[in-house]
Amino acid sequence: MGSDCPTITGVWHPPRSSRAVPSRFTTADGMATVTDAEGEAALATGAVDGLAISARVGAVPRRITFEDGSVFETEDNDAIDRWLGALYGRRAGLVHRLERFHPRLVLFVVLVALLCVGLYRYALPVTVEAAVALTPPAAPRLMSQGVLSSLDKAVLSPSRLEEARRAAITEEFRALAALTPEGADAFELNFREGGIIGPNAFALPDGTIILTDELVRLAQGEDAVLGVLAHEIGHVVHEHSLRRLYRAAGVTALIMFIGGDVGSGVEEVLVQGSGLLTLSYSRAQENEADRYSVELMAKAGREPTGLARLFEVLRDRYDDVSGNDFLSTHPATPDRIEDIRRHAQEVEGR
Amino acid sequence: MNDATQPSLAEGAPGERRLERFSFTGTAGEYFGIWIVNILLTILTLGIYSAWAKVRRQRYFYGNTKLAGRSFDYHARPMQILIGRIVVLAALLVYNAVATFFPIASLVLLALLIAVTPWLIKRGLRFNARVTSYRNVRLDFHGGYWGALLSFVIGPALAAVTLGFLAPLASRWAWRYTLGNVSYGGRKMDCDPRLKALYGQWWLPAVMVLLGTALLGLLAVAVFFPFGGAFPGADLGLAFLPVAVFIALALIYGVAGLFYRAGVRNVAFNAAMLDGRHQFVSTLGRRRYAWISTTNFLATICTIGLARPWAAVRMARYTATATAVLVSGVLDDYLNQVEETGPAVGAEYMDVEGIDFGF
Repeated sequence: MGSDCPTITGVWHPPRSSRAVPSRFTTADGMATVTDAEGEAALATGAVDGLAISARVGAVPRRITFEDGSVFETEDNDAIDRWLGALYGRRAGLVHRLERFHPRLVLFVVLVALLCVGLYRYALPVTVEAAVALTPPAAPRLMSQGVLSSLDKAVLSPSRLEEARRAAITEEFRALAALTPEGADAFELNFREGGIIGPNAFALPDGTIILTDELVRLAQGEDAVLGVLAHEIGHVVHEHSLRRLYRAAGVTALIMFIGGDVGSGVEEVLVQGSGLLTLSYSRAQENEADRYSVELMAKAGREPTGLARLFEVLRDRYDDVSGNDFLSTHPATPDRIEDIRRHAQEVEGR
Repeated sequence: MNDATQPSLAEGAPGERRLERFSFTGTAGEYFGIWIVNILLTILTLGIYSAWAKVRRQRYFYGNTKLAGRSFDYHARPMQILIGRIVVLAALLVYNAVATFFPIASLVLLALLIAVTPWLIKRGLRFNARVTSYRNVRLDFHGGYWGALLSFVIGPALAAVTLGFLAPLASRWAWRYTLGNVSYGGRKMDCDPRLKALYGQWWLPAVMVLLGTALLGLLAVAVFFPFGGAFPGADLGLAFLPVAVFIALALIYGVAGLFYRAGVRNVAFNAAMLDGRHQFVSTLGRRRYAWISTTNFLATICTIGLARPWAAVRMARYTATATAVLVSGVLDDYLNQVEETGPAVGAEYMDVEGIDFGF
């Protein structure tokens, strides 16, 4: 046979033992033999087909395990490769050949960079959209019920707003919601006392919108309250919570999956960095909902800047003049007021 | 074939001691190829290759770590890793789904997770030990649930609650558990680092944190003071301030943490002995360790990751050369006691959580 292994020197371990015997490995007629360093006493023999030969990784010692459990170990990787190449053809050790230090690695670097950018810029948004489209309606409903019941137990309490006031707001809310493609029945307005979350409003993905008594009392005029509700309707119409959820999951998966060996410090930076990206994404969503509020209010023949009126009250009341910073989920209040006014002018100009 | 010379455990000359240093023979160029091909194939196979990638990476680092002329070896099979990874991923998915749909129920789940974490860590450490071999003999790990609870849940919590004052106690538990439960060829490793020695490594990083935060506080006052209470023009500079403070704090804690980690490793290894006769020795320089870690980190960031192979090899080389065993007698007379080990769920959980206690 032309595929016999020349004599390779190395070390042999008896089965299970840490004893190391200097030895030689050779094959003839499909049988492998390990002899001692002088080539006299046979230490192990076995059919070549029954050997377990470890795959090559760099210049790490190669391990040939016999069926009896004894192991021959050698640093002569090249000799083993030549022998295996003759035996099995070029398939053997393909991954190692790719890994060798070679100008080709530059190409791999470029390829990896392109793939990473492509994954983040194109594959991630497409996957998020697909996941949103594929989510059965039951999921947002279940999610919303879960969140609301948890909040009711932990934070919120029943509304103490006068019945008539609530009915009036609900009626105007439904008139507003009727102008959306989803129709008035796709939304449900709930009144609660906010407690520690104070003047606030938020939308759950199934169209449930929660408005706190504190916000109603704080807002001067119905248009301010309706501006906030239109903003929340915008979150629902654009399916913001689902998108944010899927996106955060996608980014985490990308880091975990490409990450591999980047070192613990860098991994920490990646995780924190992706957190910052999620926040910037969340601020973009807030701006989108703000613009939606302006458009919906204009469509309903109401004051398009109602939302800005509420923000002004908030700003004056809480002295909120902070600049835009990338550590918050919402854009800075003064900036939002300005953006809303600018967008209202554009909408009216049309 | 094997001529049945089961070596008797009494052989070897007990009086003869020699210092055997660890060494690392990998090179940055060689590992770069392995590293980039690992990433490339992982992306192209949508993550499946990551299990194979891990095995190749570990085999490279273990196989290049040498002691007394022989190298270590890593035996996990990619399929074991892949199954472990899938199980951990599925569990994380379920956990996050529950947290989203039933926020209150997730608190129960969190308690459950904390309760099973010690079990997962115990299994993970055992897996990692059992797939590690030296001279054809595998390591094993015998730690139990309560030890893991003490070392990985109660210890860190205690250290955090006492603002780090009890960190040496937590370190003592952790090292006694991880290193002290290892065995090699059925022979136990002893590891009992003394509290006094651990506190000897603790005070310098503690003073660094104290002085660092005090200095930062002074600096913050100095920056704020000229503006008085109501600062005019809340502009970009102030928006960046919390980030700057965050980075400065991370730097202070990071460097102090590196000093502490290196010092504690020295104490723990120097208190470790295998089979009652082979004494471990660790001589990491704290400043040098911190320097290598920080420059590695910066180099990796500045090269958007490309310097990582160089950094990893550099660190492996340094820690190897700073580690040795005072061997007494021969290393020939150990017999493998470990046969097989199940899927790598615990080990993969530790991987995801970044719990790292390499052997």
